[in-house]
Amino acid sequence: MIISTTPLLDIKGLNAGYGGVRVLHDVSLSVGQGEFVTVIGANTAGKSTLLRTISGLVEAQGSIRFDGQELVGRPSHLVPALGIAHVPEGRHVFPEMTVEENVMLGAYAVRSASDLATRRDRILTMFPRLRERLHQAAGTLSGGEQQMVAIGRALMLEPKLLLLDEPSHGLAPKIVDELHETFLAVSRTGTAILLIEQNTTLALSVASRGYVLEAGRIVLSGTSAELTGNDAVRSAYLGL
Amino acid sequence: MSRLSSTQWIMIAVLVAVAIAIPFLFDPRGYGIRILCLALLFAAMAQSWNIVAGLANQISLGHAAFFGIGAYTSTLLLIHFGLTPWLGMIAAAVLGGLAAFLISLPTMRLRGHYFALATLAFGEVMRVIGNSWGGLTGGPVGISVPFSQPSLMALQFKDMRAYYALMLGAVVVVTAIFVVIKRSRLGYRLRAIKENEDAAEVIGVDTTRTKILASVISGMLTASLGTLYAQFQFFFDPDTVFGIASVSIRMAMIAIVGGIGTAAGPILGAFFVIPLEELANQVFSAKAAGLSQLVFGVLLILVILIEPKGFMAIGPRLKRLFARGDR
Repeated sequence: MIISTTPLLDIKGLNAGYGGVRVLHDVSLSVGQGEFVTVIGANTAGKSTLLRTISGLVEAQGSIRFDGQELVGRPSHLVPALGIAHVPEGRHVFPEMTVEENVMLGAYAVRSASDLATRRDRILTMFPRLRERLHQAAGTLSGGEQQMVAIGRALMLEPKLLLLDEPSHGLAPKIVDELHETFLAVSRTGTAILLIEQNTTLALSVASRGYVLEAGRIVLSGTSAELTGNDAVRSAYLGL
Repeated sequence: MSRLSSTQWIMIAVLVAVAIAIPFLFDPRGYGIRILCLALLFAAMAQSWNIVAGLANQISLGHAAFFGIGAYTSTLLLIHFGLTPWLGMIAAAVLGGLAAFLISLPTMRLRGHYFALATLAFGEVMRVIGNSWGGLTGGPVGISVPFSQPSLMALQFKDMRAYYALMLGAVVVVTAIFVVIKRSRLGYRLRAIKENEDAAEVIGVDTTRTKILASVISGMLTASLGTLYAQFQFFFDPDTVFGIASVSIRMAMIAIVGGIGTAAGPILGAFFVIPLEELANQVFSAKAAGLSQLVFGVLLILVILIEPKGFMAIGPRLKRLFARGDR
């Protein structure tokens, strides 16, 4: 895919870490408008840190341009209003709130929006199971359903960019397939997605482009087809 | 915002009636009504603690710092400038809020045990300062509130029933503030933080600011109650008002035993813990040194083992039990 305009998300020379420990080293990466990009890599490669850095949860040096704005140095609570929704690793729902409260809170940053009911209905159409459990405490749902709540909550923002951190981790294969169908559907509506996934085969089957992160550095990038065909990727991540 | 149901209104009306009737059953100069006053004061203190600990799950073990600041602020202003304790209480609240703000800056990013330990240290630091800065506080010898003609303005009374009314008023005010916060937008934000701080952050809640705000409100109220304590006891020292066991942990314990995060919990907890402590003292203190504390401690452990969510969880539990029996 040729990106003619400036990318929606443009990361250049990013260093980030916790306290004195640096996790990301000179990372450069971009996501175009409406593009579906994945970052693959081993468990400790720094994939989650990358997403957390974009959301402002991790201190960083370098540049993260999003839609014309610089994100480095911006407090995390001001990031959602720019149009970035983050689904954190590990199904972070509000367990004692109802499914509806969880979903509605997704619009916290844009609470003045007049079409909240429409947004909510769109999400419940996307996840009919949530509609059935609307007034149930989110903590009582199954793992897959909780992930739907977390994703639904993120979509309430109608984000320009959706950050997905290991959404299929620990879920049954059937649910995983459903979720990825949903991601493709969201992608088709023009929302850009940056997906982090342990399941490399799956990630490369839904994303159009990918990056390989190793020990905090981008070591390889290309279209999903290129990466799938790459010998190093095949042996290290696809087990072929 | 949900309204109170009619049953809740009836319960509140009954409680108010009982609260008004109670002092007339006691000897107005006696020991019993003093314990009642202390129980009410600790109910209000635990309720203040409940604002930051119960709503945001930031378990502070340093609230004695604010309490002691309040007691010393109004008392010193009264001694040196003759300022009425009512204005002293306002000054106490301002300083207590300021202290809460300052301690929040470094600790609010901490969670769980780390936060508890950091606040514990803060309370201890205040106790040490109070003991060593003798020129200001009178040091370990303690400080006396000067007697004056009993009046509402002087916040000194001959009749214990007046103190009872004062403490009851404090419980009502602090509980009302707790309920209003819990049902407000701030309460919703605090609830999101309590249930999942990471998720709250990524949806755009300014978690640090929200927690600091709750902490400042809690610190202000706790300091005001420190002023009431000073006016009630007439004498105190740093070890009492800045004490870990006597104030910080007791506030936390009362709220936890009663039901943390609920409006009625700290009140139930105070009326269980404070009289129990007194009773254990009376019955066992003559028998062997430390026995009363041991008995008191064992009883508290039993309560928490039987119902970790406090007295407030017993009602729903009984309901479930009976519902099951119906089947």
